[in-house]
Amino acid sequence: MENLIEYTPLLLRGAVTTISLALAALVMATLLGSLGAIGKISGGRMTRALVFAYTTIVRGVPDLVLILLIYFGGQRLINIAGKAMGVEYIELSKFWAGVAAIGFIYGAYLTETFRGAYMTVPAGQREAAMSMGMRPLQVLRAVTLPQLIRFALPGYANVWQVLIKSTAVVSVIGLEDLVGLANDAGKSVREPFLFFTAVFFAYLFFTWVSQSIFNAAERRYALKEHSDAV
Amino acid sequence: MKKILLAATALSSLAMAAQAQNVNICVEGAYPPFSSTEASGDVVGFDIDIANALAAEMGMEATMVKTDWDGIIPALLEGKCDAIIASMSITEERKQVIDFSAKYYNSPAGFIGAEGMMADMLDGKVVGVQRGTIHQDFMEGEFPNVELRLYGSQDEVYLDLTAGRIDAAMGDSIAMDDGFLSTDAGADYAFFGEMYSVPQYHGEGAGVGVRQDDTELRDKFSAAILAIRASGEYASINDKYFEIDIYGGE
Repeated sequence: MENLIEYTPLLLRGAVTTISLALAALVMATLLGSLGAIGKISGGRMTRALVFAYTTIVRGVPDLVLILLIYFGGQRLINIAGKAMGVEYIELSKFWAGVAAIGFIYGAYLTETFRGAYMTVPAGQREAAMSMGMRPLQVLRAVTLPQLIRFALPGYANVWQVLIKSTAVVSVIGLEDLVGLANDAGKSVREPFLFFTAVFFAYLFFTWVSQSIFNAAERRYALKEHSDAV
Repeated sequence: MKKILLAATALSSLAMAAQAQNVNICVEGAYPPFSSTEASGDVVGFDIDIANALAAEMGMEATMVKTDWDGIIPALLEGKCDAIIASMSITEERKQVIDFSAKYYNSPAGFIGAEGMMADMLDGKVVGVQRGTIHQDFMEGEFPNVELRLYGSQDEVYLDLTAGRIDAAMGDSIAMDDGFLSTDAGADYAFFGEMYSVPQYHGEGAGVGVRQDDTELRDKFSAAILAIRASGEYASINDKYFEIDIYGGE
């Protein structure tokens, strides 16, 4: 137990890395997911095929493989390009390689979440709004988006919970996230159980906090629509 | 474009001048007493002291790059570091991808098990080893009648040994003595059977790993190891951690 207290500041540093990594990856995944959903819904044939390839490949390959490919494979590409241009070694950051890999993976899941939410908004509502003379952007802002967010929230919350857990794979590239540091510390003081138990509770805490935030968000979007209707 | 290239070349030669005194060394940080992580996040241990002593001997400054064991060879190959000092055994298999200096230590391998376990009881028993190590190769080659169970780290081997999922473990004598037998968890366990040092498996000991085209750096490390042996620097580091001289035969 003393060991755990002594290592707490280090573990907290790891927790900060885990959370920043997860949040940055979520931003990237949300962007990719929105682009993917737009492409799937209103893109041409080429775009649709591209998005289809993206979601199929990503959802079919283990996270670990992608992260190793991006970090070590990406570094090799940079090295080759650097050599060709006569530039000395440029370091690919572990953090951003992790963000890129996880954002890229969960963008594929969010593509489906957003597309599903869009399909749930009845087409008749959009048509009705258009017939009232509203422009497409106005329809999107006033009719589609508020409902889309409401329908997408449960799926989005779900993806976030899986995403934050999957950040643990970045410890394989030596990024000092919570799991990686707890692993090293646990082995160093030879109490791996104790440290993994601490990690267990830390992740439960993350889950609990995110759950509360998403519940509040869901209430907000549900209430707003309710009061609008009244 | 030419200007940019010129600027880049100038920058890179500047960077080279600054780097000449610095050598990045990949270390593990999860293999006490050779390499472990402190509460401050710093990596300490025999490997790290040796790394600093070698760098000083070569007139360079060492920067430790903490890397997960599974990613340590790729990290060297892709230039994340210039050398690996992580108790990595010199083997033919590894030599196909990287190159090694002369050994900086060589400790024998042995079995551990619950008190009373004997070498002639091993047939059909379950033995745990760390995956991808020389101990796995040794067990597969010399003990075909034993059921092997592979683990990502030595600590998982100990956990399963105390949980009763495996009957014995094979590994480095020093690491197991220090990491398990001399701890509370290892109180009821002991070495049994012979100590092994078969060159075919156990090789020449642990060396400094470098990229294959870095022969100059490799030779510098080999020379530095002999130099710190001769100067007594090695002995003083050795005595900080171990009761016996772990360098092995000269």
